[in-house]
Parts: sequence; structure tokens; C-alpha cells
Amino acid sequence: MYQLQFLHSNTFRWAFAVAGLFATFVVVLFGFIYFNIDDYLVARSDHMIATQTDFFVSLPFDREVGAIEDHLREDSRGVQFAGLFDPQGKRLAGNLERLPAEIRVDAPIQTVRVTWLNRGQSGDPLIRAMARRLENGNIVLVGRAVDETLEISHVVGEALAFGLMPAFFLCLVAGAWLSVRTQKRVEEVNQRVQRIVAGDLRERLPYRNVDEPFSRLAAIVNGMLNEMETMINALAGVGNDIAHELRTPLTRARLALERGRSKATTLEQLQESTDKALGGIDQSLAIVTALLRLADIENSRRSAAFSSVAFDDLLREVCDIYEPIAEDKQIQLSVAIEAKLEVCGDRDLLFEAIVNIVDNAIKFTPEGGRVDIELAPGDRGAVMRVRDTGPGISQQETEAVLRRFYRSDKMRNTPGVGLGLNLVAAIVKLHGFQLVIHPGPGGQVEIICFQQQVSERRSEQLVLSG
Amino acid sequence: MTKVLLIEDDGETAEEISAELIDRGFDVEWSSNGIEGLDKARAMRPDAMIVDRLLPGIDGLTIIDALRKDQVRTPVLVLSALGAVNDRVRGLRMGGDDYLTKPFAVVELVARIEALLRRPSETRETILRVGQLELDLIERTAKRDERKIDLLPREFRLLEYMMRRSDQLLTRAMLLEEVWNYKFVPTTNLVDVHMGRVRHKVDQPGEAPMIHNVRGAGFILRALS
Repeated sequence: MYQLQFLHSNTFRWAFAVAGLFATFVVVLFGFIYFNIDDYLVARSDHMIATQTDFFVSLPFDREVGAIEDHLREDSRGVQFAGLFDPQGKRLAGNLERLPAEIRVDAPIQTVRVTWLNRGQSGDPLIRAMARRLENGNIVLVGRAVDETLEISHVVGEALAFGLMPAFFLCLVAGAWLSVRTQKRVEEVNQRVQRIVAGDLRERLPYRNVDEPFSRLAAIVNGMLNEMETMINALAGVGNDIAHELRTPLTRARLALERGRSKATTLEQLQESTDKALGGIDQSLAIVTALLRLADIENSRRSAAFSSVAFDDLLREVCDIYEPIAEDKQIQLSVAIEAKLEVCGDRDLLFEAIVNIVDNAIKFTPEGGRVDIELAPGDRGAVMRVRDTGPGISQQETEAVLRRFYRSDKMRNTPGVGLGLNLVAAIVKLHGFQLVIHPGPGGQVEIICFQQQVSERRSEQLVLSG
Repeated sequence: MTKVLLIEDDGETAEEISAELIDRGFDVEWSSNGIEGLDKARAMRPDAMIVDRLLPGIDGLTIIDALRKDQVRTPVLVLSALGAVNDRVRGLRMGGDDYLTKPFAVVELVARIEALLRRPSETRETILRVGQLELDLIERTAKRDERKIDLLPREFRLLEYMMRRSDQLLTRAMLLEEVWNYKFVPTTNLVDVHMGRVRHKVDQPGEAPMIHNVRGAGFILRALS
């Protein structure tokens, strides 16, 4: 199909235009060379004619004839013309039959047609010539053939024919070839893309390891496809995870209801099993709610809801709330705020992120441990750091904890949905901050607040300590 | 009898809500679509309304907006399946008085309706009294009879909120929203811990308890009879 389409293709049109332009340029160039050489040759001939004429004129009369004969003898190529004529125009010497009628005596060099003397030379040549009248009335004529320019024009014409035409056609053929090749590759890419659209996510665009636009483009698109494949697989995985996570509490609810229905003999027993079932359903709902919230935050952008938030005040508030909880668990909660920090963000979301981190720290720290919260200026921006004496996160788990529903084996028995850190990560990302999870022993989580103005206030150190 | 207008398109949900409210002694009128609901709201002048946000043909918020333009000040509880923080803010800004996200516990809904019906009047009083309990809002002090109670700022806020709504069931979610300003429910039993402390300070050993825990629902502050 594309065999004929190439005529309409852009590549071919460009090739055609370039070929045309090239041809025009070459023709002009050759013309320029031709006319310049022609001018040069004529000028040179004219100069020689003038010199020769002056020479003849300056000779004594008795040596004129001899000099002309000598001059003509020396001309092996037969391009020289000379003649001596009496005042009536009768030939006295030289290789001309007669004095040409058109020639004007004592005029500048002109172009005239002359007749050879006695020789069957083909035709009457057109020459550059000048005639001068001598003091005794005789006329001397000196001329030179200019057919050389004709020959040059022949050469130029032939060069054009042999050089330009093939070059022009070569151009067109190259254009057509490139165009067909491009179309072939577009068609190939199209077929592969269609396969990808049809659902074959492992398909990639043809790629050759050479530095050419198509391959580079293919490499870029393939990179994008790799990312998308990973993402789509991850999403599919999330779907499975959600189903799996929901099945556990729903199974519990079902079992409780079933047992209550068949085994309960008193109202209390029925209520007990119903409460268990409600617990399972509430857990499922909590998962769904957390997922929706997560999606909501992940899909939102830095928006109009963002305003200036006093991060340090937020931190104090969270500590204020968690202090009694820590105390109940006999955990020492200490707070050191060394910087005043104003950030641009969503107050409620930042609050939620901090609450989640602090909540986790207190939840996973055994009784008698401690949790340290600090806000300190760092190299890249203020750093909020929460450290605890809990089990912490192992090196292998630092990435895994950010997967949805990931719960460390050590924490299997702690209540929770397993989405808390995802939520924190999403909120932190939304604000353009960075979440750093340090491996244990002992938990350490940081939020680095980039590009925020940090004004240190020494006097504010150790505002609160529990 | 207290009249409640329920505008909710899902029949089963409406039935459950109505049954619970009727059990609690409310007179419930139900509309399954917005236009009819709006007409009823204008005609019967209910004491409170429960409006679902997503109704066929009309947005629940539009109904509230229309009523507010008619100078109808009936308290409205907005129900919604949309849980995002922004939706909640929008719901409240459009004239809703409270916002409850589906799915919810019926206890929660009833507690909120009762809270709406018995909203504390904006008194200029600076001293709140419930039974022997006294709270001085200027001095920031609390007393039970003559016994002085030392409260942390957050505890003071909690007690103030409870005293303004004495004899009402206050759910954990309500407390989180109003006292802690939370827009989400954290996993820890935060409310219980704080409540435990306030309770410990208000009801000392040997004294009759004023703060009551309603299992699986919330807390009530009651004056001693």
C-alpha cells in the first residue's frame, strides 16, 4: 500500500524540492563558470591580437610579409589569422583569401567572419580580429579563432548531462527510498502499538542500537512502556491485595453470624456473635475508607486549599494530644523543636501525616520505651524526626513498608489497616517533601521539608518535654 | 413530637433509619426524591432534616441551599457516600449543619440528630453549670462542689464541650471532630485515653459518677439527680 503512497509523503516531497534546488544551483554555477571563462579567453585573445598588431605595424615595410609568414608558421593549432592587403584590399600575404568586408580599419577588436586561403577548411570561421592601416596605405589584419569557447560550452553541457541528471535522479530515488522506509517503520510501529492497545503489555517498539531518530524515539517510548507495565502490574497486584485484605474480616464476620444463628440460645450469645460480626464489617469498611482517602490524596494536586501552616505548632499540638496516651503506656515522649517552620500546605493533611507517624511510633514501642520527636534545621530543609525504641524497620523492609497493606510479621497482632505509611507517603509527596524511613533497630522516620524558610530561634529549644 | 424529615433515595437505608428514629420517639417523614422532599420541607416545617447528598435529579446540597434562601433555619444532617475532606467542607459550607459519611452506625446518626436538635444556645454566660460541676470560662477553672479540678487545656476543652451538651450521647467521632478538630479517625483509642483522664478528675473515688460510658457508642455527661 505504501509503495505508491510515498509520492505524497513529506519525505519524498522534500527530496524532490531539494533535488530541484540542487539542479538549479548547479546550472547557475556552470553558467557562471562558462561565461567567466569565455570572457577571460576573449580578453586574452584580444590582448594577444593587439600586441601582435602593434608588432607588425612597427616593422619596416619590407619585413612585413616575412614576419607574417613566420607568425603563421609558428601556429601549430591553426587558430591564428593574419593578412597583409594593399589599399584596394588585395591580398599580399597571410592565410586569408581577402580582407573581410565587415571589418573596419583602425577600429577596436571586433568579431568577424573570415575566409581561409586556398584551404578546404570547413566553413568560414568566426574570429576576433583587428585591422590597421600602415603608413604606405597597406592594411595589416591580425585575428584569432575563438571557437575554444564553443568547445568549453560543449564540455560544460556534457558535464551537466553526465553529472547533473544522474545526481538529480539519485536524489529522487533516495527521497523515495527514505520515504518508503519511514512509512514501513511507521507501519511496523503502528502494528506493535495496536498489539499493545489490544492488551499485550510486553510488546515493545522495534529498536536498533544506532543513533537515529526512530531508534531514539523507540527507546523513549519503550522506557515509558516499561514504567507503565510495572505500574499496571502493581495496580493489578493492589486489586488482589485489596480483595485479600477484605476477605479476612468478612470471613470473620460471616463465621460469627453463622455461629450465632445456629448456636446461640440466649439473647446475650446472639448479641456477642453479632458484635463480632460488626467488628469484622467495620474493619472492612475501615480498609475501604482508607483506600478511598489514599486515592483521593494521591490524585489531588497542590491546590488552592494550600496555605501557610505553622509546622512547629502542628507538631506541638500532636504531642499535646499524644502525651497522655504515651504516659498510659509508660512511654516517655520528648519533644525538641529547634526551628520555627512555616510551610505551604494543607493543615489537616499535614496534621494527619504527623499523627500517623507519632501514632505508629507509640503503637510499636513497648512499655517503658521512649519516643523522641524533633524538628531541626537540616542541610536540605527542616527535618521532622520521630524516633522510638520499638523494633524499628529492618533494612529489607524499608521499601516494603510503603507497599499497600504491608505489615511486618512482628506487627501482625497490632490492630491497624496497613495503609498508614502509604497515607503519610502520599501526603508528603503531595507537599513536595521527602519521607525517609531509616532501618532499625529502633524506629526512625523523617520528613524533610524542602525549600522552606527556617528561622532558628534558640530561645524556643525544648519547649515541651514529657 | 419531634418531626424529622428524611430525604434518602435508597429504600432500605431509609427504612432502617426511620425504624431507629421512631423507636427513639421521633416522628419521621420520608421522601425518596429531592423535589418532593423540598416541597415537604416547606410544607411540614420539620424540626430537623436528614438529607442524602446524591439524590436522583437533584443534589442534596441544592435542596439545603434553596431552603436557606427561603430563610428556613431547620438544622440539617447531610449524608454522603463521598468521604473526601473537601466534600465535607463543601457540605458544611453550603448550609449543612453536620456531615456524616456513609457507611455509618445508626447510633452515630441518632446521636448527631439529637445534638442538632438540642444545639446549645449561644449564651453569653461565662460560667457553665451541670449539677455540682462548674466551669469558669474566663478563669479557666473547674470545680465539683467545692473541690477544685485541675485540667490541662485540652481536657478543659473536652469538659466544656460535654457540659454544653450534657445528657446527650457524644460519639467518639463527634468528639474527635469538635474537640480535637480531626477530619479522620486515628487507630489509637485517643478519645478513650483523654476521656479516662477527665473522668478520673471529675469522678473521684466515692463520688457518684457523672461521666458515663455507653458501650460501643460514646459518652454522656449527666447531672446527678
